[in-house]
Amino acid sequence: MDSSQLLKGVLDLAVLAVLDERDSYGYDVVRRLREAGLEDVGDASVYGTLRRLFKSGALTSYVVASDEGPHRKYYGLNDVGRAQLAASATTWTSFAATMADLLKERHH
Amino acid sequence: MTPEQYAQAVRETLAGHPNSEELLEDLDDHLAEVASESEVPLEVRLGPPEAYAAELAAAYGGRTGERRRRFDLRATGASLAGHPAVARLTGLFPELRPGWWVLRGYVLAMLLISVADRPQLVPDALGEFALVAFAIWLSYTLGRARRGRWVTIASALASGIGVLALLAGFAAAEERSFEPAIAYQEPVMMNPVSTLGDVINIRPYSKDGTPLSDVYLYDQDGRPVTTSFEDSGYVVDRGCGEPVLNRYPLPLVQYEETVDDTGTAFAPTKAPSACAAPSASPGPLPSATAAPLPSATRSPSPTKRSE
Repeated sequence: MDSSQLLKGVLDLAVLAVLDERDSYGYDVVRRLREAGLEDVGDASVYGTLRRLFKSGALTSYVVASDEGPHRKYYGLNDVGRAQLAASATTWTSFAATMADLLKERHH
Repeated sequence: MTPEQYAQAVRETLAGHPNSEELLEDLDDHLAEVASESEVPLEVRLGPPEAYAAELAAAYGGRTGERRRRFDLRATGASLAGHPAVARLTGLFPELRPGWWVLRGYVLAMLLISVADRPQLVPDALGEFALVAFAIWLSYTLGRARRGRWVTIASALASGIGVLALLAGFAAAEERSFEPAIAYQEPVMMNPVSTLGDVINIRPYSKDGTPLSDVYLYDQDGRPVTTSFEDSGYVVDRGCGEPVLNRYPLPLVQYEETVDDTGTAFAPTKAPSACAAPSASPGPLPSATAAPLPSATRSPSPTKRSE
């Protein structure tokens, strides 16, 4: 199964979870997702997801000047984003449990 | 490819995107950040700018990346109207209008005849032909006039009714052409069929005396044969579903007026449903005391009896 297809469905949740831990700028989110194990995550997908979540009002953003590199736009969760994260996490947990059950029964 | 060049290429690809400005707001900073991470050129790390742009739009537009743009009726209508084929078609309308006026007159005349006389699609009497001709003339004149509010309203009303009547006429014609003609024939009443009196029910038996059930009877013209059981105070037991009146033996129940405790009149059938077993009592052989004679079934019985 192509994991990038699966990732499309849960990228919002993954990005929200990363930002819930701490505020991040675009490329930092990409890096952290990859470090967490989502090696296939596309830079453009993360960037597009961040912009969409921001537009939908789930994120706050602020610019931090950087000494050596370009300015960084940091994103963080606001109340809307935290509520969305909580709801999506519940959905995901139940879905994942269902799938785990299904696969477990297969082995018996 | 520098981050600026790469960003520019992405921008160009997404030029038609409705939210491109909002979407690409920090693309340059973002790509600069990505570029500063490694010496490997951006187009190698991120793929061609066109693919990057497509992925970006997909992630931004919706999770699956295949969310369709909302259907815009007005825009679709405008783009359709601009199409030469549509323009040719709409150009035909003025030429078609007189034809519609004629058809409208015909349809309304037939509607009138169908309501007043009997439903029909073509006139079949001299007066009807005259009426049709008059209606066509009137409809055409009304269509040509197009002057004054009331004429316009009357014309539009006539058109509306005409369209509805036309559709109804088509539907009726279709129905009639598909259904076998037999469905429109009145059932044959066998009344009386023998010298024994009115036939209420028919109990068919096979050669060896076995009572038959679910036997369909038709006359020489293929019309269903039914009996006049209603005249003799019987009703068909509907406990077995909608009865077929020429399927014998019929599940008949004698219908009596009684007054129950609550004072409401009659309650016919509490007798066991007659449909399950067509011959509850051992059926008499056809030769001997043949089938239930009406006289027998009508013998004074205090309760309803199942037939």
